[in-house]
Amino acid sequence: MSIEVVLRSIFTVAFIATIIRISTPLILPALGGLISELAGAANIALEGIMLSAAFIGVIISAFSPLWFPDLPVWIHPWVGALAGILAGMLMAWIIAFFHLELGTDIFLAGLGVNILAQGGTVFLMFAITGDKGSTSALASPALPNIVIPLVNNVRILGQLFNAENMTGYNVMTFAAVLLTGVVWVFLYRTPLGAHLRAVGENPEAAASVGINVKRIRYIALLMSGFCAALGGLNLSMGYVTFFQTNMTAGRGFIALAVIYLGARHPIGTVIAALIFGAATALGAQLGTLNIPSQLIEMIPPVATIAALVIYNLRRRARLIANVRKFQEKSALA
Amino acid sequence: MNPKRRQLLVELLRIVTVVLVALGLGFIITWLVSEDPVNAFRALLTGPLPQISWTDGFAIKGMNRFGNWLEDSITLILVGLAVAVVFRARQFSLGAEGQIFLGALAAGIVSMHLPAPLAVHIGLALIAAAAAGFIWGLIPGVLKAYLSVDEIVSTLMLNFIAVQLYQLVLIQWLRDPKEGFIATAPFPVSAVLPLVIPGTRVSIAIFIALIAVFAVWFLIERTGLGYEIRIVGANRKFAEYGGVNTKRVIALSMAVSGALAGLAGLHLSNGLLKRLTLNLSPGIGFEGIVVALLARNDPKGVLLAGLFYGYLRTGAQIMERSSDVTREVVLIIQAIMILLITAERLFPAYQAWQQKRKAALAVPNALPGEGAAN
Repeated sequence: MSIEVVLRSIFTVAFIATIIRISTPLILPALGGLISELAGAANIALEGIMLSAAFIGVIISAFSPLWFPDLPVWIHPWVGALAGILAGMLMAWIIAFFHLELGTDIFLAGLGVNILAQGGTVFLMFAITGDKGSTSALASPALPNIVIPLVNNVRILGQLFNAENMTGYNVMTFAAVLLTGVVWVFLYRTPLGAHLRAVGENPEAAASVGINVKRIRYIALLMSGFCAALGGLNLSMGYVTFFQTNMTAGRGFIALAVIYLGARHPIGTVIAALIFGAATALGAQLGTLNIPSQLIEMIPPVATIAALVIYNLRRRARLIANVRKFQEKSALA
Repeated sequence: MNPKRRQLLVELLRIVTVVLVALGLGFIITWLVSEDPVNAFRALLTGPLPQISWTDGFAIKGMNRFGNWLEDSITLILVGLAVAVVFRARQFSLGAEGQIFLGALAAGIVSMHLPAPLAVHIGLALIAAAAAGFIWGLIPGVLKAYLSVDEIVSTLMLNFIAVQLYQLVLIQWLRDPKEGFIATAPFPVSAVLPLVIPGTRVSIAIFIALIAVFAVWFLIERTGLGYEIRIVGANRKFAEYGGVNTKRVIALSMAVSGALAGLAGLHLSNGLLKRLTLNLSPGIGFEGIVVALLARNDPKGVLLAGLFYGYLRTGAQIMERSSDVTREVVLIIQAIMILLITAERLFPAYQAWQQKRKAALAVPNALPGEGAAN
């Protein structure tokens, strides 16, 4: 009996570790998408940005030892990560430039960038490695895991805070936790964040009080590029240490859904991403039972649509209630 | 020249310029990575044409390449029409991918499990494909129109669901265990779209595509619903004040779009593959977007844009086979075309011309006829 309880608790802790790992590359792009969404410049190219960053990160970190042989070894993955972040921000800048300077519809600009990333990564990968599937021929490093000290003394805590093997989570998981806080503070506790939300809420009104709408949207889109790039790096320099064709596998699109699911709030977004992660992890567990995997794969998208319907129903109910209150008040007056 | 025709001409010039610039950039990129960029690009640009050879008597070679071009163009025209209809209503549905899969699935079920005589069987499969697409388009349409659920997210999610549903039904119920791979048995002859050009896989789907072009043109330009779609697309608030049931129009535009994508699914399943396989043609649903944009959402333009982009895609496959450049270069060209064509402020000359026109119209004392002459 007691063994069973222990086993079960270990299973649960390991399960939590899985959820955290699966959710990290959803939380990062979703936070980025949230920033641009709140600035009224919805970025649907999170997928393409992740893909570009994942690819450039691998390529540059693999070539960094050849280009900079004098640097210490630990620095090469960071050179790659920096290049990946810049690549992701470049993609976001393309959207911003075309949308803000040339009048391209933001959805179509995002779509264009997605296609550019999809084609560009495979095209360059083939040109560099001669392989269209993956860069596994290149020796590219991983970004380090971080082990929290002391907690490993208690097995359960160690497995919770340092993953099931107590070898630590990837640095990007910590980036996700940190960014959640930073994004929240930025959006709700800084003047720039307030301006950003004002621009998203009503750009004309914001412009009329002297806020530079274009500048804010540039900043918001570049930030979304930064965050999504971290998500992409988590895949190619954390999960695995190579780039694979279309390795984001729709995560950038799921991140979009996560934003709405989380009611366009950073905390809600993170919770929604964790729910998604849990559904995926559960799917992997249920896969061992005799349930067709397709049914399990359908759960997250169905849940997203259901959540969107509920969210909009509630919003409408609230609007109607407000109107009614207003009418009653004016009737009394 | 009257202003309307002149505007059309400028638009055309703009699109041709964009295409040329995109191809030029494509060539530069090819030149950067390829050992033999000229040959690679020649394969891209001339590959799909059949070659007439006179060396030992008259012979036409490369008919299958020519066929591939038309086969691909049929899909692209149908998907392009699907996208054009929703774009006309200013809805950003990205659901064609899922609708194609379910259209093919419905056509496949009818083909395998509903015995019917020759002509009737194809008709039933066609209706099933269009109906499945219609329903799969109606769902996000209703969600958007009545509950303002963002159509980009809902259609992307419905794509995931549709592909899983397709695979589930195929693997669990339709697959023929005698096949070495996951697929149904070949469809009965009565359900296969009859061939039109021998030596290729070009079937009567080419007529379905042509009829669809005409039907969509008629719908948009000559019917009440089409008029309402255009007004909603131009200005939803205005349409609402004008008494248009905008919710119904939005839902229907997305459903009609789904039906067209469903027909593209029929072409893939009953025209090209003649059975259902696990991977139908992934990603093709998104290719309709560039077609619709090149055509400025005009059905007649979709016909030309579909043929053009189909040509480029087929050429890219030939280039990949005969050179050291991957076919993904065509995705880069596509992305450049999407970005440039939608960049409204890109052509200063175009803009200046527009401003001059506006100015001419704004000055009441302008000489009569001057506005038209500009």
